[in-house]
Amino acid sequence: MIYVLKEAIVGSLESIYLVAVIVLPLMVILQIAKDYKILDKISKFFRFLTKFLGMSEDSTLPLLVGITFGIVYGAGIIIQSSKEGNISRKDMFLTSVFLIVCHAIIEDTLIFVAVGANGYILCGLRILAATIITLLLSRKIKAEQIQSDIEAGEN
Amino acid sequence: MLSDSIKTGIKKGIETILLLSKTIIPVYILVTILKNTPVIGWITTLFEPLMGIFNLPGEAAIVLVIGNVLDTYSAVGAIKAIQLSAMEITTLSIMISISHSLLVETAVTKKMGIKVSHALIIRIGLAIIFGVIVGRVGAII
Repeated sequence: MIYVLKEAIVGSLESIYLVAVIVLPLMVILQIAKDYKILDKISKFFRFLTKFLGMSEDSTLPLLVGITFGIVYGAGIIIQSSKEGNISRKDMFLTSVFLIVCHAIIEDTLIFVAVGANGYILCGLRILAATIITLLLSRKIKAEQIQSDIEAGEN
Repeated sequence: MLSDSIKTGIKKGIETILLLSKTIIPVYILVTILKNTPVIGWITTLFEPLMGIFNLPGEAAIVLVIGNVLDTYSAVGAIKAIQLSAMEITTLSIMISISHSLLVETAVTKKMGIKVSHALIIRIGLAIIFGVIVGRVGAII
């Protein structure tokens, strides 16, 4: 029992350490990019992607960070953005839905390729799955908004 | 000023790390305790008969259970431990890459404002759908 607890405590501290060594420099780089307006340019460049998924440009950053680094880092940025009021509830929801299914694609794909999986099928289908569910829910939100607008108009 | 940006960045970084730690540490401890109990074996026995729908052998259930309860690295270890064809490994990989580390990651996505039930339905649902498709199509090819 003591062995298990030791494993749990050491392991959880190790995982937090791993999170810290990525999150801290990431947040500094992002803040610099934000203050020097580099982020705006990156967001504009990926405009086609967020627009296709039914989100605004505010989602670009958490989406890209989550897809490349992992869900924990994407979550960190989404939570930070929502604290600062920089992201709408709808964007936050849709970005989270996409990232739930598709995150850390480089790392996750490579570890399975290492044991013999087909990386193209794996990566392609995972992006497809995330895109389908995000588009479906984005349509649903839009339909609900129109419905509530109509109801508001009738009253 | 650059130094102001760096200061703000560090402050935000520490805030984010603390917030994530509060979520990750308790769940991580729970997962480690679970790993050292026979619970994973029990869940595996339950799922073994269902593996046929993905064109997978019954013993592949352990990979799915380990991947979903623990993490992807443990699942990869389990894949190595059993004899599987390349197509079977691809089927398992797509299912696990969509749905894995459910305890830790669902705790994190809850912080992003996604309900636990919604996160689980989306991930497990998509993993099953894509597992069936890849498993069946793979059998024809």
